[in-house]
Amino acid sequence: MKKTIFPIITILAIVLLIFLPYFIGAYLLHVLMTIFIYMTLALSWDMMLRTGQLSFGVAGFFGVGAYASIITCSRFGFNPLVSILFAGFFVALIALGLGFAVLKLRDIYFSITTLAITMVFSVIIRNIPKLTGGASGKVIPNVIFNGDSAKTYWLILSLALITILISEMFNRTKIHFAINSIRNDEIIARSSGINIFGYLLFVFIISSALQGIAGAIYTQQYGFVSPETTFSLDFLLLPMAMALVGGIYSTWGSVIGALVLGFASEYLKLIMPYGHLIIYGIMIVLIILFLPKGIYGTTKDKIITHKIEKKSLSE
Amino acid sequence: MEKTNKSLKKTLIAFIIFLIVVGIWKPLALVYGIQRGGLYSLIGLPLALILGIVGILNLAHGDFLTLGLYIGYIFFNSWSIDPLISMAPLFFILFGLGMVIYSILIRRVLKAGHLNQLLLTFGISMIIIELIKIIWTTRPRSVYTSYASSSVTLGNMSIGMYEFIYPAMAIAVLVILQLFLKKTRLGQAASAVGQNPKGAEIVGINTNVVYLVVFSIAFGIIGVAASVMLPRTPVFPLSGNPYTLKSFALVAMAGLGNLNGILIGGITLGVAEAIVQSIPGYEGWSDVVFFGILIAVILLNAYRRPES
Repeated sequence: MKKTIFPIITILAIVLLIFLPYFIGAYLLHVLMTIFIYMTLALSWDMMLRTGQLSFGVAGFFGVGAYASIITCSRFGFNPLVSILFAGFFVALIALGLGFAVLKLRDIYFSITTLAITMVFSVIIRNIPKLTGGASGKVIPNVIFNGDSAKTYWLILSLALITILISEMFNRTKIHFAINSIRNDEIIARSSGINIFGYLLFVFIISSALQGIAGAIYTQQYGFVSPETTFSLDFLLLPMAMALVGGIYSTWGSVIGALVLGFASEYLKLIMPYGHLIIYGIMIVLIILFLPKGIYGTTKDKIITHKIEKKSLSE
Repeated sequence: MEKTNKSLKKTLIAFIIFLIVVGIWKPLALVYGIQRGGLYSLIGLPLALILGIVGILNLAHGDFLTLGLYIGYIFFNSWSIDPLISMAPLFFILFGLGMVIYSILIRRVLKAGHLNQLLLTFGISMIIIELIKIIWTTRPRSVYTSYASSSVTLGNMSIGMYEFIYPAMAIAVLVILQLFLKKTRLGQAASAVGQNPKGAEIVGINTNVVYLVVFSIAFGIIGVAASVMLPRTPVFPLSGNPYTLKSFALVAMAGLGNLNGILIGGITLGVAEAIVQSIPGYEGWSDVVFFGILIAVILLNAYRRPES
């Protein structure tokens, strides 16, 4: 019974999301688009975290994807959609190259190196003004779909849905066992014959490419890039906070976290123009201290223990 | 022991040769590099102390520096206290802040694993930045003192004199720290905990007290660094932020627990940065020096060690 209900709910939710632009106003639609972008980043960050590697490179790949898309679009006359796909491939290629060096590192060394790589990306982009517009950035004459917000919404929605699908595939297929065992104990994973580097590289490339595509779509939506805004650490911090609040190591955790924090910060923005992002910092600290499993993880645990108790009582 | 002495001597000789070569080739870059490198070392020392003994990488390091700058700015602006005099109150204010942060937050994640520690300090960093934006907005502020802009003309180059206080302070703090770690009982306990926390606990050292003291002292040094750099630094919500990564680059270069190496590494990187900046047309690339060396050192260390 439960197995038939779940797919129906999913399909209904997707249909509802697809037809949403016909019912809600432009403002709410815009908020949803931003939330879906961050949701993609949060999920892709979490995918890497599931292998036990804490990556601080989200903002870097996001920014490179954004620049790749804008430059191919304005200089080489790519169609915006093609340029978004190109950005994904380009970032995947970079991730492949970097992965060979970076994925041998562990713990804080991996995290710090990815953070440093983000900085290197932004310095490089700032210093080749002929291609990237330097510190002042670059503007393209036309935003994607000429600013048709419904079409942009569908594009972003499909990216978010694809990311959710990939994340669920990671959690349900055989890869799931490999990823979890790498996170829990690398030595055991290796002695069970798991190709640790191979799996890490695979996840790294996929998650980076998703971040690059998210960056490409985001900038195509606004038609503008600059080193300050495109490589802003917000694109790292916000997704991290979202995944943590919802619950790491799960798909629905990031989805819930993105929705909760996305709407909360949108509301705070209205009453607090400066520093409304403080909610993200406070959330990260509180969650780490008191609720390491996040909202989704904690409720799931509660439900499971409740069921077990019920079962043992009835027996 | 002899081996480490030998390698230390080798590094020192290489370091001095490097400085002499740069001094002949680009004397101005050498002076700027030593000044800036002194500042990097001064700011890097507290991070190295916390990472080496408490074992926590404090990603909010640079933001506490910013906070120190703002407190120094208040001292100057409200009560017109000179930044160099407010060094003492700043040391104690940040010392107390370190105690609070350690007792309320850090103590709870000591055993929680590196991921949670990194995320926690990252969250703290974000809270500080946003809090500063709420209280003081993003408008940059600065402190003017007459002595900060004094300069001396040597031949055809003019050198700012104030900045020489950075390497001087770095050396002073380093000497005091080394005396503390080698001569006092608490300091010896701290070094022991840094080398082997479990062993230290077994022989009866109260690691919690050691961590608390080390954390607070490190924060106090951040306060000193803030007051020293205040006369020459614009104060805005992100002014300290880049120093987190730069300090970590120094620690990665020097190796954990090697406080002297912080000074050598800091000045080397400062000089390297100054050389890149002195090449016309390539000023903007100087940041790559730090991050490039950081990445290179981490990778080299990872590959030199056979996989453990």
